[in-house]
Formats: sequence, structure tokens, C-alpha cells
Amino acid sequence: MTKLMQWLFGASLLGGLWALVSFDLLDLNLPHTYREVAWPMPLYLLVSFGCFSLATVGYRVATFNDCDAAAKELQEQIREAREDLRRRGLKM
Amino acid sequence: MATGVDQAVGMGLVLFSLALFSYYSVWVVVLPFMDGDHMLQQYFLPREYSVILPGIAAVVLLLMIGAFTAAVVWMNHKPKKVD
Repeated sequence: MTKLMQWLFGASLLGGLWALVSFDLLDLNLPHTYREVAWPMPLYLLVSFGCFSLATVGYRVATFNDCDAAAKELQEQIREAREDLRRRGLKM
Repeated sequence: MATGVDQAVGMGLVLFSLALFSYYSVWVVVLPFMDGDHMLQQYFLPREYSVILPGIAAVVLLLMIGAFTAAVVWMNHKPKKVD
């Protein structure tokens, strides 16, 4: 089984479980509060993942070490690249 | 260590995402288990907004990405030469 099939299988299992709890497909009559917590779960996981990504980016920005020589060299290269692209006609 | 503004921006991002995560978690996971007249409920909008607001944010993000792409493509469009 390929990796894609494994991920799709896992995702559909979780998706099925979520649909079962949210829409009461088996008529289990779970308490109302559990259904109310389960229903926004996909969106909640997406928002949490977004927050985690943002926090990781922020943390790595804050702890990145300065390298002055490399910074100067990079600025120089950016300038050259812009000049070159402008000569070839790319408008920014 | 990164200096000045970098550190401030980075830490600001971390704190913002922590705050957002905590607020959203309490909103979605904790609040349904509390009584309707609990003092904590007054700090949170009605629950429908916990779905609508991220939806709007996602739409706005996609719009901005699309607008940026469209702007760059439009500015670099060269009409084909006719032979």
C-alpha cells in the first residue's frame, strides 16, 4: 500500500468517526455537549495547526543568529538580480 | 541571537499565536461544558462565530494570495508577436 493510500485510509477513518459523532448516524443519542464539541473539530485542528506554524516561524525568527558578512553578500546579490531581471523586462 | 526588531517580532508572533490558540480552545472545547450563566461566558461571542470568523479569515487570505498572483501575472503579460 502506498503512502497516499495509508494517509487516505487514516483520514477517512477519522472523518467517518467525526461524522458518526457529529451527525448521529448510528442513533447513539450521545449527550448534546459531546456533539457540540465534536462538530467543529476539523476546523479547530486546522486553526491549531495554523497557530503552531505561526509560533514556530516566530520562534525561529527570534532565535536566528545574525551573520553580517552573509547579509551584506545577500543584499548585493538581491540588487544584482533585480537589475538583471529589470533589464530582461520583468516589472515588479 | 537575533537582534532588536527581529526578536520583538518573533516573540510577538509566538505570544499572539499562543493567545489565539488559548482563546479558541476555550471557546470550542471548554465553553460547552459550562452553564449558560457562568461568568466566563460573557467574554466569548456566540458559538456560531467560532466557525464563521475562521472561514472569513481563510477567504480573505485566499483573496489576497489571488490578488497578488493576478497583479504580478498581469504586469508581466506580453502580447504574442504576430508573424
